[in-house]
Amino acid sequence: MNAPAGAGVIVDQVSKRFGRVSALRELSLRVEPGEAVAISGRSGSGKSTLLALIGGLERPDSGEILIDDHALWQTARPARARREVVGFVFQRHLLLGALSARANVEVPLLGAGVHRAARRRRALELLDQVGLADRAEHRPSELSGGESQRVAVARALANEPRLLLADEPTGALDSVTSERVLDLLFHLRDRLGMTLLVVSYDRSVGARADRTITLVDGTLEAAGASLHRR
Amino acid sequence: MVAIITTNLLRRSGRTLFTASGIAVGVATIVALLSFTQGLKETAAGLVHLGGSDLGVFQANVSDPTVSVLPDSTVAGLAGRREVARATPLLLIVEGIGSDPAAIVFGAEPRGFFTRSLVLVQGSAHTTPHGVLVGDRLAAQAHLRSGDVLSIRGHPFAVAGVYHSGILFEDAGAVISLAAAQQLTGRPGEVTDVVVQLAPGARASVASRSIVRAFPGTQVITDPQQALRAGANSTLIAKAILVIVVIALIVGAISVANTMAMSIVERQAEIGLLSTVGWSPLRVASLILGEGVAVSMLGAALGLLVGVIGAGLLVGALGVSAYVSPSVTAWGLGQGLLVGVAIGVLGGIYPAWRVTRMTPLRSLSIR
Repeated sequence: MNAPAGAGVIVDQVSKRFGRVSALRELSLRVEPGEAVAISGRSGSGKSTLLALIGGLERPDSGEILIDDHALWQTARPARARREVVGFVFQRHLLLGALSARANVEVPLLGAGVHRAARRRRALELLDQVGLADRAEHRPSELSGGESQRVAVARALANEPRLLLADEPTGALDSVTSERVLDLLFHLRDRLGMTLLVVSYDRSVGARADRTITLVDGTLEAAGASLHRR
Repeated sequence: MVAIITTNLLRRSGRTLFTASGIAVGVATIVALLSFTQGLKETAAGLVHLGGSDLGVFQANVSDPTVSVLPDSTVAGLAGRREVARATPLLLIVEGIGSDPAAIVFGAEPRGFFTRSLVLVQGSAHTTPHGVLVGDRLAAQAHLRSGDVLSIRGHPFAVAGVYHSGILFEDAGAVISLAAAQQLTGRPGEVTDVVVQLAPGARASVASRSIVRAFPGTQVITDPQQALRAGANSTLIAKAILVIVVIALIVGAISVANTMAMSIVERQAEIGLLSTVGWSPLRVASLILGEGVAVSMLGAALGLLVGVIGAGLLVGALGVSAYVSPSVTAWGLGQGLLVGVAIGVLGGIYPAWRVTRMTPLRSLSIR
């Protein structure tokens, strides 16, 4: 598999409201290709909203988001951008309960119109990368929380994203399992060269990332110097 | 995609089955009625060609050909026409046999081609004024043999013989003399219709127009479709089918729409996830629409099965099994299947449109 290059991200004066609540206020941020950034902040500070806007899950009210210098919401099909550039990992694994681990990893590939045999091959390859080759035909109910989250990571990597967005990926896991999942995420990022943005309360995430940014009431409080290692 | 649709439907197997059952009832009713109508059409062919005739002359604008009234002088007028080889009058008595109300009693001239066309399988063709010839189906059903007595409108008739004609109406009925029939019904000088055999080379369509012009107030029936159109009952059935198709489409579509709407509310996170991993709104909508169509196809398949069985039950319930055999055709089954698919598509459109309006962020309930 060719290692995909990381995607550069520019968030320019972005605001977002949900009803009367202002989630983000004229926030600006620049993330270099291949950089790993930890995003911290109190609950309700706008971390998840920022990640969702960068990933094209919601349109900003104002401002602009550029992925590799392309305005995400100016493309006619943001779903295509999500399919080709972005991978998501959430706090909840969100696996489809009726499908096997392999079939869950195949779901993004199905959306991309990948042929059945190629889907299967790629899913098994990814499950092997996250250490679950022997659990490929198991359903989520037969997997532990950590294993389910590793399947979710494999699913996020299915379309070879250049930007991996993880929203509290260890929030529902115990400390030991959290460490394993974080090891996996950062190991994959080092190996594949993708840009990684991780929202987390976990201090160890900050220690692993190139830099940490903190959000307070929808704005950026402080940004550490870029320690981009590549 | 098919695997995901199947998995999703099996995951809520109870709800899938209930929705499919509702659709099945609608499709089954349609198939049963279509089979019944097709049976009527085939029976009507027999009615048109009674006694091996080419056409039948009836009173115009009657609700049902069996209640037609013509003066028996019509026969002589018809027999004298160039395009007519033979003409013989018939007086039809419906519900004349108490033990088998579906059987028709034909009042016919003993020397007419209608009576002569009957093939005697038992007894004698010679009938007295109070004698009756019985069709082999009626004889088998009512356990009649020559020498037995058959009651027609409460009057005893001696069974002279048993015949076979190959026409369902005739074989499931009985034949008495025209004079006896007119006396029995209190209609002297009247007949129901005149059946006609055309002269060699005469064309039915040309002869029909010529006869109608010569005998105002009559209609000529030459094919089964005409016979069905002429009958008010057949028209009612055709309209009933249309109404049932519309009701089935509306009720079925609402049922599917409701099921799919409930399903997308329950599976909001799943739908959000599919959008998140790059499924286009069109593809997610196709998944929902596909599930609706799959439920409907399941219902239609069940409905076709029940409809085929139901057609026989319907004929029995209406008491017309003696002269109507339900006929299941590929086109009838195809129409049932089409209704099923249409229900799925109509019912799936709204839920599918709704998922295209859902944003992934709100579906996943994260911010």
